[in-house]
Amino acid sequence: MVARRKNVIISVFSTTPGVGKTLTSINLSAGLAYDGYKVCLLDLDLQFGDVMNYLRLNSDRTIARAQRVFKNFSSTFNIRDFLVRYSYKQLNFYILPAPRLVHDSYQIEVATVMQFVDKYLQDFDFIVLDLNPMFSSLNLAMLDLSTLITYVGTIDFLPALKNFKVGYDALIRFEYEEQKIRLIENRAGSQKVIKSEDVERLLGGTFYHRLPNDFISANKSIEEGVPLMFSSPTSELSKSFLELASRYTNKYTIEPVREIEQQTSKGFFSRTLDALFG
Amino acid sequence: MVRQVILIEGEQRNFENIIPALKNSLDFEIAAVYRTAYAALGQSRMFNPDLFLIDVEDAENINIISEFVELYRDSMIIGLLDFWDSEKNLSCIEAGAAGCILKTFKLEEIRKSLELYKLRGKNSPSRIISFFSPKGRAGRTTTASILALTIAEKSGERVALIDADLQFGDMAVFFDIEPEHTLIEVSQDIKLLNPLTFDPYFYKLRENVSLLAAPNKPEYAELVEVKSLVEIVHLACALFRYVLIDLPIGFNPVTIGMYDLAEINIVMTMMNKISDIHHMRRAIEMFQTLDRVKQLYTCFTRVEPCNDDERLKIQRELGYPVTDILPNGYHINSIINRGKLLKGLPKDSVLVRKIEQIADDLIQNRR
Repeated sequence: MVARRKNVIISVFSTTPGVGKTLTSINLSAGLAYDGYKVCLLDLDLQFGDVMNYLRLNSDRTIARAQRVFKNFSSTFNIRDFLVRYSYKQLNFYILPAPRLVHDSYQIEVATVMQFVDKYLQDFDFIVLDLNPMFSSLNLAMLDLSTLITYVGTIDFLPALKNFKVGYDALIRFEYEEQKIRLIENRAGSQKVIKSEDVERLLGGTFYHRLPNDFISANKSIEEGVPLMFSSPTSELSKSFLELASRYTNKYTIEPVREIEQQTSKGFFSRTLDALFG
Repeated sequence: MVRQVILIEGEQRNFENIIPALKNSLDFEIAAVYRTAYAALGQSRMFNPDLFLIDVEDAENINIISEFVELYRDSMIIGLLDFWDSEKNLSCIEAGAAGCILKTFKLEEIRKSLELYKLRGKNSPSRIISFFSPKGRAGRTTTASILALTIAEKSGERVALIDADLQFGDMAVFFDIEPEHTLIEVSQDIKLLNPLTFDPYFYKLRENVSLLAAPNKPEYAELVEVKSLVEIVHLACALFRYVLIDLPIGFNPVTIGMYDLAEINIVMTMMNKISDIHHMRRAIEMFQTLDRVKQLYTCFTRVEPCNDDERLKIQRELGYPVTDILPNGYHINSIINRGKLLKGLPKDSVLVRKIEQIADDLIQNRR
């Protein structure tokens, strides 16, 4: 019998750094929580994660400590002991923070994170994964597990665009279904030289969603440590994030019967990596 | 011009090979042949030699090179090797030789090698400079590219750019070029290469600036082992006086391996949010846990206003010396977007001027 998953896993990924993955992860999580769902956000940019920084949170709870307890005291392990609750007004969502020491990020094992996501966080309706911009074995395992891959890019700088395409092509080559990948353009309309339509032609895919360019609101949200819906509720960017969240939830509520099959097998690249490098 | 050559070689077989090769040429003339360097040291003065070819498989001979350099200031000194050995090559360069060649003795190869070593620049060890950043968009590639062009222009010496950001290196896009070779082929062939056969793998950006591009597909990255990357950099040192290495983001075997290798490690972060300082501090702490003590050159980018007060402010916040601050590079970005980086740098740009200062410091050994 194939195990069935009730919750939705959304990874926020990009192969271009600095395109707003963390901002997207946080505001997507906030938007989903706002819609009434139980949401857990995992900061999987293990070395230099920014989720806690952006939300002005500080805690000793980290994925590194969770793993330590998980491996040593698995019978009493409860992942809730390592989650940090983000709370603002009526809104709540949970975070599994990145390690505090860069050195600890080396200790995190892919298998552990897979178990956390796959098994221990099942109570959450949505699990949002903030990934770092690389094809690492962790990221590939997470992409394999994901229901949706939110692939974020900005198209204001040619080299960044090249990496956006290279990464997208790679995802297709690694046999991720195109429907699973949601292309998101961030800072849309920030410049005139490179056009979205040209980028779509180049990619051979269309943008699922566009987040408008609003540097001021984005920075204000980070400065104040609150999601955009509270720091700049009327901004187009905030609205756009809520819209993105509701597009994801609509998808979820319209087709609740078609539960997503758990992928027990690994994706192509992840397999290749394992074969080559153990 | 006919070059007067002194050959120092202990093995009969070898000089039976080299003498005919040089004898048949119009531009070389063998002035004298010695079996030991000691014998050659004083006696060669009689011949006004232009070129010494010294067997350096004999370790004794390496030790005496500096005396030749002292006595024969206008002569070129080249070590002879049975097999390529970057370590021996480095020892020779440290002693003041121009480099080493293999004892293959094809006239064309000797000529080409001498040309390359002349182009390389000063007969002293290469300066290896790495560009690290905890997170992306810090300006590593922009800074490395401009610095490479600037150093080459100012020093007249030869500069290599190695794009070791293996998954997502975009230096080729920065320069709007399509290189024939990447690090993939080089890392596969490295065991068989010597400076002469290695040189064509580079893409010549300018007369004295060359690029070794990153693989063009991210999945190829795993095919480049750190071990071969180290050998590649060592070999590049035979051809280039400056080797600039662009790294992937964060800590991984590549960044740590190159940190070990580089003389100058520039750690870069953009200055946008307070958490950027936090990341810089955590990166420095991580470097300090690696047991090799090395000075780090910290560089914050997109700093506005880009003045010393601001630098000191960041430094106080960071709790560690801030070496450089660089301003926003909108102008440069638009030049890169138009694929015109090689058409000449805008000399009025503050970013370029600041990078020129770094180049001066490096050229004059102030860092």
